[in-house]
Amino acid sequence: MSRGDLGPVRIFGAPLVLAVLSLVGLVGALLADGAWDWIGAGLLTTTFVAVARARLTRRAWRSPPARD
Amino acid sequence: MKTRTIRVWSWVHKWSSLVSTAFLLMLCLTGLPLVFTHELEHVLLDEAWAPADPGGDGLNLDQVLDVALSRHPGDVPAFMSFDEDRPVVNVTSRAPDAPAGQFNFQPIDQTSGDAAPLVAGHPVMEFLLQLHTDMFLGLPGMLFLGVMGLLLIVAVVSGVVLYAPFMRRLPFGALRLEKAARTRWLDWHNLLGIVTVAWVLVVGATGVVNTLATPILAYWKDTALADLAAAHDAPAAVGEWASLDQAVERARAALPGRTLQFVAFPGTDYSTDHHYAVFFHGDTPLTTHLTTPALIDVRTGELAAVAESPWYVKALSLSQPLHFGDYGGLALKIVWALLDLAAIIILGSGLYLWLTKKRRAT
Repeated sequence: MSRGDLGPVRIFGAPLVLAVLSLVGLVGALLADGAWDWIGAGLLTTTFVAVARARLTRRAWRSPPARD
Repeated sequence: MKTRTIRVWSWVHKWSSLVSTAFLLMLCLTGLPLVFTHELEHVLLDEAWAPADPGGDGLNLDQVLDVALSRHPGDVPAFMSFDEDRPVVNVTSRAPDAPAGQFNFQPIDQTSGDAAPLVAGHPVMEFLLQLHTDMFLGLPGMLFLGVMGLLLIVAVVSGVVLYAPFMRRLPFGALRLEKAARTRWLDWHNLLGIVTVAWVLVVGATGVVNTLATPILAYWKDTALADLAAAHDAPAAVGEWASLDQAVERARAALPGRTLQFVAFPGTDYSTDHHYAVFFHGDTPLTTHLTTPALIDVRTGELAAVAESPWYVKALSLSQPLHFGDYGGLALKIVWALLDLAAIIILGSGLYLWLTKKRRAT
């Protein structure tokens, strides 16, 4: 890992949060009915929210400057 | 991560993906309509129907079975299931010399014995389901698809490992849309792959468990139900069977408060050669998917055992809804379908990335 590289938390933080939300949605909708069916679908939808945000956030991606 | 380590993981990711991609694409494409099986069959099989004699006494289960078998002389009964929203009993039977998996399915109006219209099992959906389940190859096809599922899991895990070196200088969600097509598709592949990782792993792992249904049930019969079957030497002839109606009533008494789901007749995968297996499910969202059979001795009609399912049968039962996504209403199904489409894009972009890399190398 060189000086300009991102750490594991920066790389896997957001994916880990999305994975946990997805799993809570998948299992929650299985364990309960009614509102949980909607909550489960909503939590799984966070996946697409993340994709939509990435698509709509048009930034010029460049390598970050080296840290001091 | 060292260059050599990255190379090893890249090799694992490339080959686990390439070997399985065609089959995974087939599974994603057939799985897409299967998510909406209930809705599609409601449209495809929509037919106005009312029971012939709603106020009458109705036929008991022995009479229903007799009616069904009289329409397919020589058949032996395999399963009997019960519609929840209409007085219809579904009888599944098969000719003794029929190929494996070939059954006759008859919905019967319990108020009259007349044939009732199908509400499930449209030929198109059945075709898609069988293609998805075993590619019309029976157990070898199921197990083969199970191996493809395992390769999917390997591909996902290796993809997550490789995500780190690819993203070490890019923030989460980076889509370099101004770059060349290959870079753009690499970013889409990485983004869709990492955000759907939990769902893909759950659907992949439960798919693998589902492909093991036949060996799981066979193991259950050979272990937990073995003592019950050992009491007899040979299967009872159909003419020696005790009343089915009374058998179901005994089973109900043994498992009060549960909902009757189906009866497996002797000799099927879900029972022994010597018992009616009367399956009930619970009424909570979770226990709806978990069945418990009461085994009734087919010769005497007496309760032989209530066989609480062992953990591996419960795992199989829970794997089915978690694989097909049909347990949380229409909203969940729509999200499931979108995730399935995302998986198709991941597979397609992976194939594209491999092809363009190969072309560049040559």
